[in-house]
Amino acid sequence: MAKILVVDDEEHIRLLYSEELKEEGYDVITAEGGHELLERIQRDEPDLVVLDIKMVDYNGLDLLQDIRNKFYDLPVILSTAYDTFKEDMKSIAADFYVVKSFDLTELKKKIKMALEASGAH
Amino acid sequence: MLAYEENPEKVERADLVVGLPSHNDAEIITGPTAEAARGLLDHFGDKNSVIINCDNHSEDGTKEAFLQTSTEIPKIYLSTPAEKAGRGYSLRNLIAKAVELKAEAVIVVNADLKNITSLWIKNLGEPIFAGFGFVAPLYVRHKYDGAVANGIVYPLTRALYGRRVRQPIGGDFAFASDLAETYLNHPSWNDRVGQSGVDIWLPTLAIYQGVPICQSFVGRPKANQQHSTHIVPASPSFLQIMGTLLDLMILFQDFWGRVKWSKPTAIYGFGMGEVETPEPVEISQTELLRGFVEGFAQYQHIWESGLQNNIYNKLGEIRELPLAHFSFPSEIWARILYSYSVAYKNAVVDREQLLRSLVPLFLGKNLSFVKKTERMSIQQAEEYIENECMIFEEAKPYLLNKWGGG
Repeated sequence: MAKILVVDDEEHIRLLYSEELKEEGYDVITAEGGHELLERIQRDEPDLVVLDIKMVDYNGLDLLQDIRNKFYDLPVILSTAYDTFKEDMKSIAADFYVVKSFDLTELKKKIKMALEASGAH
Repeated sequence: MLAYEENPEKVERADLVVGLPSHNDAEIITGPTAEAARGLLDHFGDKNSVIINCDNHSEDGTKEAFLQTSTEIPKIYLSTPAEKAGRGYSLRNLIAKAVELKAEAVIVVNADLKNITSLWIKNLGEPIFAGFGFVAPLYVRHKYDGAVANGIVYPLTRALYGRRVRQPIGGDFAFASDLAETYLNHPSWNDRVGQSGVDIWLPTLAIYQGVPICQSFVGRPKANQQHSTHIVPASPSFLQIMGTLLDLMILFQDFWGRVKWSKPTAIYGFGMGEVETPEPVEISQTELLRGFVEGFAQYQHIWESGLQNNIYNKLGEIRELPLAHFSFPSEIWARILYSYSVAYKNAVVDREQLLRSLVPLFLGKNLSFVKKTERMSIQQAEEYIENECMIFEEAKPYLLNKWGGG
């Protein structure tokens, strides 16, 4: 069972993602921000991270850079309410991005693809 | 293959090598040499460095211009013999010298760059000392610049090898010493690689070796007009790159056959300051259309034998479209490239002829890209290319099926 870390500062998003992804058979853990995120990844060894881009205290794209530099092949899916982030070239270091929605069909599809690409499905 | 070496300061060891491949670049090589020296002093002052001009038997005084450039970093000049024309042979000399010097890192920047700054050296070199094995460039380019990379090499290598390297044939890059040894001894070296094929050969071997790869932001490549970095379809460079790509595909079939989807590549270096907006690249849509349509007269028999009936028939439909409504679907293009790969492997027709017959099809595909993106910004066109890459990845089972079936 693949383990997914959801990083988002909005509690209802963490709850929604957790419930829906658990129903899909994933083991889900959550974090409400980027504080000690790298240590958390090191300790909990998720197979994939769903990362909010715009958190109150953290820039998801900077966190993505940090993750990519330390965990070279760890799949990261960016989750965002807006798609203006694509103007920042740092975003291409993500495996995929999804626009936040209550319908998680697209997120589930991208998670499956990212896990297949990394061989962790 | 090394015909000539001049090592005035008798350098025998170096931690870091900057290589400047050249061919008749006497007028411009002074600038990149001086910037390379500045970059080495400013950012790698604690390393023993050397700048090597790996020349391709220039006859315009490139050697003198290089060696006479005043730098605090020692310089070495190498040249191929006259009969070994090609960028790959120049780079092979560089790699051999870097191995001899026991260098930890090798940075390569073209000798004809007009806008290189010392930050290029920093951004290409630092990731190697941070543990990456290969650093590919990430350029800011106009949406119509680099058409061969955008339309063929990037989507195909990404779908095959599962690693997203946006500029897989970029001329400016860096690699670590382990990879240098691999390059020097790899049995896939051939005359095509010795020419322009080297630009796809180097990153493909890096991916195959599984070394950590990153992409480094180096702004905008602005080469001397005399030696444009733009690969022109039907040029020898196009055929060498495509031939090398397909040769490696045969060699590494066990590897890419297991790859599903693709993974991103780490990004390094966003401290370039203000980067110029790339100059527009003028494209003649009527010329592209003419090239595509004329291909039918010359290569119809190859297309008919190498492509599935439904794809060949679709080409006939595309041919009938007026310029205003011209469209070459990406799903068809992906299947054409995959079919060509299989035809090349099976050598159903002469391989050189097969590669040449791809050119009109690419012109048609490029026309479609130009039309679809003409009102798009550079960033929107990038997204369009990313979507096309997904189409290649989704169509990969078609390749696997045809490849296995022969």
